[in-house]
Amino acid sequence: MNNPEEYTPPKWADKFLEWYCHEDHLDILKGDVYELYEDRRENGSKLRADLYFWGDVITLCRPFAFKKQPIENTNTMAMLRNYFKITYRNLFRQKVYSFLNISGLAIGLACSILIFLYVSDELSYDRFHEKSERIYRVLERFESEGNGEHSASLPFPTGPTLQQEFPDQIAQSVRLFNFQSPTLALANKVADKAFNESRVFFADSTFLNVFDFELLVGNKETALDDPNTILITASMAKKYFPEEDPVGKNLELQGRQNLEVVGVFRDPPKNAHFQFDFIVSFSSLKQWYNGGYPGGWYWNPCWTYVVLNENVNPEQVEANFPDFVLKYFPDFVAEDIELELQPLTDIHLHSKLDYEIAANSNIQSVYIFGAIAFFVLFIAGINFINLSTARASKRAKEVGVRKSLGSSKSQLVSQYILESIFLTSLSMVIALIIVGLALPYFNALTDKSIGLAFLFQPVAISGLLGITLLVGLLSGFYPAFVLSNFNATLVLKNAHLKTSGLTFRKILVTLQFAVSVSLIIGTIVAINQLQLLQNKDLGFDQENILMIPVIRSPMGEHYETFKSAALQSPHIKSITAVEEIVGAKHQVNNYRFEGMEKSKPFAHFNLRHDFTKTFDIPMVAGRDYDRNVQTDDSLALVVNETMVKSMGWGTPQEAVGKRFYYRNELRGRVIGVVKDYNVVSKHHPISPFVLALNARPGAFNLFIKYVAVKVDNNLETSIADLNTAWTAVLPSMPFDYFFLDDRLNDSYQSEKQLSSVTVIFSGLTILVACLGLFGLATFSVEQRTKEIGVRKVLGISTPQLLVLLSKEFLGLIAIAFVIAIPLSYLLAQNWLNGFSYRVDIEVWPYLVAGLMTFVVAFLTVAYHSLRASTINPVETLKCE
Amino acid sequence: MKHTQLGEFEELVLLIIGSLGDNAYSISIKEELKNHTQRNPSIGALHSSFNRLQEKGFLESYEGGATNKRGGRSKRFYKITAHGRKALDQSFELRASLYHTLPQLGLNNE
Repeated sequence: MNNPEEYTPPKWADKFLEWYCHEDHLDILKGDVYELYEDRRENGSKLRADLYFWGDVITLCRPFAFKKQPIENTNTMAMLRNYFKITYRNLFRQKVYSFLNISGLAIGLACSILIFLYVSDELSYDRFHEKSERIYRVLERFESEGNGEHSASLPFPTGPTLQQEFPDQIAQSVRLFNFQSPTLALANKVADKAFNESRVFFADSTFLNVFDFELLVGNKETALDDPNTILITASMAKKYFPEEDPVGKNLELQGRQNLEVVGVFRDPPKNAHFQFDFIVSFSSLKQWYNGGYPGGWYWNPCWTYVVLNENVNPEQVEANFPDFVLKYFPDFVAEDIELELQPLTDIHLHSKLDYEIAANSNIQSVYIFGAIAFFVLFIAGINFINLSTARASKRAKEVGVRKSLGSSKSQLVSQYILESIFLTSLSMVIALIIVGLALPYFNALTDKSIGLAFLFQPVAISGLLGITLLVGLLSGFYPAFVLSNFNATLVLKNAHLKTSGLTFRKILVTLQFAVSVSLIIGTIVAINQLQLLQNKDLGFDQENILMIPVIRSPMGEHYETFKSAALQSPHIKSITAVEEIVGAKHQVNNYRFEGMEKSKPFAHFNLRHDFTKTFDIPMVAGRDYDRNVQTDDSLALVVNETMVKSMGWGTPQEAVGKRFYYRNELRGRVIGVVKDYNVVSKHHPISPFVLALNARPGAFNLFIKYVAVKVDNNLETSIADLNTAWTAVLPSMPFDYFFLDDRLNDSYQSEKQLSSVTVIFSGLTILVACLGLFGLATFSVEQRTKEIGVRKVLGISTPQLLVLLSKEFLGLIAIAFVIAIPLSYLLAQNWLNGFSYRVDIEVWPYLVAGLMTFVVAFLTVAYHSLRASTINPVETLKCE
Repeated sequence: MKHTQLGEFEELVLLIIGSLGDNAYSISIKEELKNHTQRNPSIGALHSSFNRLQEKGFLESYEGGATNKRGGRSKRFYKITAHGRKALDQSFELRASLYHTLPQLGLNNE
């Protein structure tokens, strides 16, 4: 037999085995592998035996052989388990506390997650385009002495000319155009499907290069190159061509133009500042304008976007604009015109211009929502801290026992911090469930389509974890230190504990209520402001007025026939036609009145006879346009009172007869002055305004967009009668209408959203704050059961008890109220400054808010006081 | 009766331990297995199987028989317990009784 010492197995494998193997098994196992090694060495090469030895050592690396048996045996794990057990027992021993604590925090977290979703959606607008950082919208400021417009749209030639003039700076441009019409009629003649569509745009062929909207079918490069082609979204494909392939099929526009569908968009994302259903190739427009595009530089209907070259500053480009304006814009306006560039990503939150494609949101709401989210979380966090510290003294004995058994201070701190992180995580889970359930309602409320998907992104997940940890740490920190500082001997001897952290708790409760009161006040102010804005008194009648979009329809030729046919019905009171939605929008035109050097822009719009009658706007002086005076169409103007004042014409009576230039001759006259009414929404003050009669049938191509009909309360019959009159003159066009007051209400959508969201969330904030107060009151009554017992024996009455127990909290709320007054005043003042029509901040919202908080808080505390007053003193005093 | 269940490999190991009598320790078992079944289980697989069988109470072990080859380290010998024997019997009976119910394929088809 060979000397075993000759064969030494690989050293490292041997060491590895010793490293992992438990000593109970080491001897046997080592023996086994050595024996195997010997056998192999005797029958083969060293390398083979070495490799097998390694193999054996590795295959032995199994749980049964490990040094560390499952961690449950170790001390740390046992302690951790114990911590969880204690947490769990405490959770169930004090069910009310636990419920208040966890649900309060969960509500707070859920609110802030919802608002976070909302805010991040708002901030994401238009950022999905690859070039979004380089895309700018061109704006036109056309103003003289404050009159005029700040327009989001520009004249037809602007885009291409800019690109031509500054090829080094501007890479691409794209124009969007929709006849400035609220709706356009589209029809699939084959399937007999016709609808009025509001989201139709003509767009340059660069549209798909500038913006990144995804085409499901069709060629991105060539899709918009040819005239008479149209791209539609997937949902429109379903609407017009159910169950067939839309590509190659025809859609008829306004009953006049056949468009071939050449592509289908995936439904565009909602976080784009303009929403579309149809994109028509720009060259299709030529058919509408005698083979070319309108070339003038005065009419500005095209939303124009440019893509700057890499590394070009918008300021550099804007520096060229003054010269550009002088070179191209007509002389009579060039002086009053400035062009600007607006970053695409600013549009949704920062833009409030004339002629926006759709109403935008505003950054202020984002700030306000953000602040509310912070407040709710803040209050919920304070609750958590308060309730935990309050509970701390209940657990004094536990701390005493732990300390006397040798628990170090750091262990106690980590125990309580761990516990609070655990509770926070639990709240977070509940919060996420709440968010999941509430999201559909929240979306409906804010008119958004936020999905939960966002929460599963790495950023959001780490954010949620971060918040959980942060709230857990912050709210666990203070109780942890209070608890770990208890003196073990005192605690165990049952000595009376100083109610530790009482001042701290009081400060927090005061803060909580200060924030709640401020929120209530803010909410009341916001609701007031909204009511003022929505106040029906706009200076004109908006009830029972139907608006029928007629632009670019053959209505021009048939207007008078339609009008007299419709007026046959006893339910139809009056009919007129207007350029824009009354009370929402106006246009701008240059006028030169007597005494003016040159013409200036004024807010104006075109209309037909019977305007003042239909909208019930009183004449202050002079007369309204008269059907029997032929020259009214050109040589007469009706203006509003503000116009008279701003022109310095004296009284309205004196203003009548003022002359203006018509075709460079001082031939026209002001014939009447109407009482001021709100030409646009109450976000803006009433400006000088010209109402211009335009009775030419051709005006329906551009200057007249709606027929406005005043009907009586018998809506159904009147609409039926209108429909009959409509079909008689325009059998091929769909009859479509909307109610004026509905549409006008939409102008205040953003304020409505803001106020409903603030109402809900400040309600929740107060709820959370009251949960906290409820918990604290419970605690304070429990602390004082003996005292109450003694007092009862000595004959205290229930009202006296009520005062005794509630005065402490009510005092805090009074202080909170005092703090809240200046805070909310400043905030409300700041918000209201953005409105031209604003409510004054009055005293009563403060009183209401104060009283509300006081009553709610009092009821909360009173509940406990009453319960305490029914306690039998024998019960509380008998022990010891 | 979860614990009395025998895996196929466990059953083999148990049978071999029984047949080896007093000389049943890891290496000899490994050799026997190799001879009878042409399988060559790793030493790790064997040990974890021993361990399981001990936990189930089918095996007991004692140490002894240090040799030079092992660097003077002792071996762990295994012995079937009565419980283990019973489990083997049960398993055999089950197989045998099931086997007898098989139709006599070979004869009838000729």
